Amino acid sequence: MAKSIKIPDPIAPFPGLGASTNQGLLQWISAVDHKLIGIMYLMLSLVFLLAGGVIALLMRVQLALPVNHFLSPETYNQFFTMHGTTMIFFMAMPAVFGFSVYFVPLMIGANDMAFPRLNAFGFWLTFFGGLLLYFSFLAGGAPDAGWFNYAPLNGKNYSIGPGIDYYAMGLLVSGIGSVVTSVNLIVTILHYRVKGMALNKLPLFVWMVLVNSFLLLAAFPSLNAALAMLLLDRQLNAHFFNTANGGSALLWQHLFWIFGHPEVYILILPPFGILSEVFQVYSRKAIFGYPFVAASSVAIALLAFGVWAHHMFAAGLGNTVNDFFSASSMLIGIPTGVKVFNWLATMYGGKIRFTTSMLFAIAFLVEFTIGGLSGIAFSIVPIDWQLTDTYYVVAHIHYVFIGGTIFGLLSGLFYWFPKMTGRLTDERLGKWFFWLFVIGFNATFLVQHVLGMKGMPRRVYTYPDLPGYGLLNFISTAGAFLMGISVLLLLYVIRTGARRGRPAGTDPWDGYTLEWATGSPPKGKNFEDLPVVSGRRAFWDMKQREKNKNTQYGE
Amino acid sequence: MENKTMIRLVVGTEAIFFLCLIMAFVYMAYHAGFEPHQRSSLDIRTTGAYTVLLLGSSLTLMLAERGYRKGSPRGLKGWLLTTLVLGGLFLFGQGREYLRLIHKNITLSGSVFGTSFFTLTGFHGLHVLIGLIVLGIILLLAFLGDYDRPKKGGGALGTAAVYWHFVDIVWIVVFIVVYLLPKI
Amino acid sequence: MNRPFSFQAERISRLFHSFNVAAAAMLGLVILLVVYISIRYRRRGNDSGEGAQVTGNNLLEALMIGLPAILLAGFFFASLAAQRAIAPPIGPDLKPDVIITGHQWWWEADYPQAKVITANEVHLPVGRRLLMEMRSADVIHDWWVPELGNKTDLVPGTSNYLWLTINKPGLYIGACSEFCGAQHAWMRIKVVGENEKAFNGWLAANARTALPPADSLAVRGAALFQAKTCASCHRIGGTPAVAKVGPDLTHVGSRNYLLTGMLSTSEANLMAWISHPQQIKPGAWMPDFILSRDSVKAIAHYLESLK
Repeated sequence: MAKSIKIPDPIAPFPGLGASTNQGLLQWISAVDHKLIGIMYLMLSLVFLLAGGVIALLMRVQLALPVNHFLSPETYNQFFTMHGTTMIFFMAMPAVFGFSVYFVPLMIGANDMAFPRLNAFGFWLTFFGGLLLYFSFLAGGAPDAGWFNYAPLNGKNYSIGPGIDYYAMGLLVSGIGSVVTSVNLIVTILHYRVKGMALNKLPLFVWMVLVNSFLLLAAFPSLNAALAMLLLDRQLNAHFFNTANGGSALLWQHLFWIFGHPEVYILILPPFGILSEVFQVYSRKAIFGYPFVAASSVAIALLAFGVWAHHMFAAGLGNTVNDFFSASSMLIGIPTGVKVFNWLATMYGGKIRFTTSMLFAIAFLVEFTIGGLSGIAFSIVPIDWQLTDTYYVVAHIHYVFIGGTIFGLLSGLFYWFPKMTGRLTDERLGKWFFWLFVIGFNATFLVQHVLGMKGMPRRVYTYPDLPGYGLLNFISTAGAFLMGISVLLLLYVIRTGARRGRPAGTDPWDGYTLEWATGSPPKGKNFEDLPVVSGRRAFWDMKQREKNKNTQYGE
Repeated sequence: MENKTMIRLVVGTEAIFFLCLIMAFVYMAYHAGFEPHQRSSLDIRTTGAYTVLLLGSSLTLMLAERGYRKGSPRGLKGWLLTTLVLGGLFLFGQGREYLRLIHKNITLSGSVFGTSFFTLTGFHGLHVLIGLIVLGIILLLAFLGDYDRPKKGGGALGTAAVYWHFVDIVWIVVFIVVYLLPKI
Repeated sequence: MNRPFSFQAERISRLFHSFNVAAAAMLGLVILLVVYISIRYRRRGNDSGEGAQVTGNNLLEALMIGLPAILLAGFFFASLAAQRAIAPPIGPDLKPDVIITGHQWWWEADYPQAKVITANEVHLPVGRRLLMEMRSADVIHDWWVPELGNKTDLVPGTSNYLWLTINKPGLYIGACSEFCGAQHAWMRIKVVGENEKAFNGWLAANARTALPPADSLAVRGAALFQAKTCASCHRIGGTPAVAKVGPDLTHVGSRNYLLTGMLSTSEANLMAWISHPQQIKPGAWMPDFILSRDSVKAIAHYLESLK
């Protein structure tokens, strides 16, 4: 029989407000337990999903008809800026962190993060960063220069209101929160794994979070530096980006995209990790090509820092620079493709169970491939020269962010929901949600490829009545509303699942990893003791040993 | 152990932050071109002297750590105090340099050079200040008796020391880029 | 994608077509595998067993890496060739045929050899390789006419260059593609591709100074134009109005559209614009001067007469 290892208590003693004792709001505000903080991240993400989603729907109403006057240009420009900024920094990032801080300690057999109070600090920075960003609406106007906020449009000369100051402050505050949480995650993974869990036995989700946290630590400083310079420009009249006084418009683009392109991978790697778990469990097969799935993430993380200028192919950097970034951007497609095919190979030969979670994972394979391929189009410089900054790019980023990140996150939500709440969601309603969402999503964004090819630039508050424009935009708007309705259904599924769902037990999916070895939801302390880990499917091995023991004594 | 890993990660991410600021400085020098007379009004000799003081503070901090490891609270307190004084002197020197430049009408908003210079050195100065506050707290704790017996891994002192050495190394790079390179 | 009408657009279009074929094949393969595996390996009945545990195959991994790599290498070299054909290097002695300057939210077109300055409706000759210099007066803009090929950013503080060889006469429409502020949506482009003769005729007509006001209302309008603040932003060739902050109005009456295509050129539309610019194009730099209706009418009449 394998020897059991006692799992040490977290560094900070429990403050007397455990996950199991319900003390209302105070319990949440004072929480340092990683599970409570994880839930708060996910709630925060949901709130901002609704905010960003309502904004998106208002934009789609404006664009439903040519030469529409529903929104003024000023409002529309604030809306599309807020939509992008919200969805990336305050919807996707908190969701990624929510799953990370909730499940990393559980999957590595630890009782909490390495620094529980730092964990809470990271969350509250993200929270208040988001609040700061939205406060701009009350303070005299939201930021209006787009989520990547190009200079010199982001300067005082062209954006007089305080919106961009709030943008910079909000992103700085939440950015520091992200850095803090990433440090915490890395230390947790490096120092708190249960005995026997070597790096080559780490669950793939934890692998991706580890790679991702390093990626984040390397990418965010660039954004923070750019934001600091922008604030100096706007508040103290410095000249970094002020072209009228010798500043440079392209310096912002370089600094922003050195952060911005890795950021795209920061948002997709943890969902890759979620999917790597989901495919295994619902196909009843260990992952195909573990070392390749893990190593391809490292390759993506490294290449991510060599591709930023593909956002600037039209900026006139010259053919030589363009060649380099074209090659690196194409290269980064290879490790991504490796993952897709390894997941397919994981399904191959399995016994696939089509739960809502698995449906999202399978749909991901197709949707993300579309987003990946349209991404390759942008690495081919002449094609980029036609399609960049058009609706084709809008379609591309949404296929990556929704078809990739969101599908992965939703898959994870349905997969881990029983663990987090102790109850199962309604599978029938879950599948309704899945189909509505998938149809709505494709109706909204598939046609936008065509709009881009036809010549519609992105970020326009209206468009002239050119052939096809009206119809395609109307379809897109209709699809957006279908997505909106499906999100309401999601809220209903979550609410009824958490309140009245069937009790899930500790291990409803016959899971492979250690989070399923403890209660649902886990008590204040996750584990008392665990056996030494010897394989990649730690909990599966535990269950097998138990089974063998029983048959041994039975005979 | 965890603390050391943590501070190394923090130092790593901070290093990239400074790398971005330094790249911005170089970019501005090439793209916009600094006004030559402004750049030549930097006082290399005096700042060089203060640089030596800052580097010395790294040395004294190492001595403080050694005192701590060897179970000598007096050595720890003495050297830590010296470190704080040297770091404080460096900030004082930087303040004097700033005042001198402002009197020559070189300011953050006055020119591209001013923008680049004050941002880069200012962010470094801010990091020195943070280091001084942290070391000050540790000194206070040492006087209260927290560091009378050595801890494994050096505890907060060991963590703060990694940060302080980093701040010094950053200054070496900043000093070379801002003060020395254009003269070569 | 739109049908290509320039050498550059044709090159891109060809590349894009072959990319689409390859991408469709790749997507088709993924969909095929997804559908086949989902059907073939679905769980049957209440089978709670495990699947066949095959956890790796190095040959398969090599294929996953190798095949896309070969495909991408092919596109990389095709991309290099097309890139160099579309954007060959600019020699130091090359003079641009036309200088385009982006403004919030209109285009200035300057033909340096002919000393012609116009706005928004850019006439270009067909069948000749043109070098266009792209500049910006304020924020970053981006010149894009889909049927004529590649786009180029107009970056303040630097010049970018664009080669263009239009194949066929016609009206080509485009738009600013880099977000540039409140009226980015109404910073549209019209390129009139003409054969050499028509182009030279147009150039000669536009090289002339503005027509003198023909009737008394126009005379009054011309006087008002100079006396009120119009002249501090707009240029009318041959008059004391020489400012270049707003669009050049020397031959504004000969252009088909106002405001990069928002309104067609007519006295009524000019009147509407001058009286309430912020209602027609909110955020535009043109202020509402609160002129009397008569004055507006006179100015509009004068401008409309500037053929």
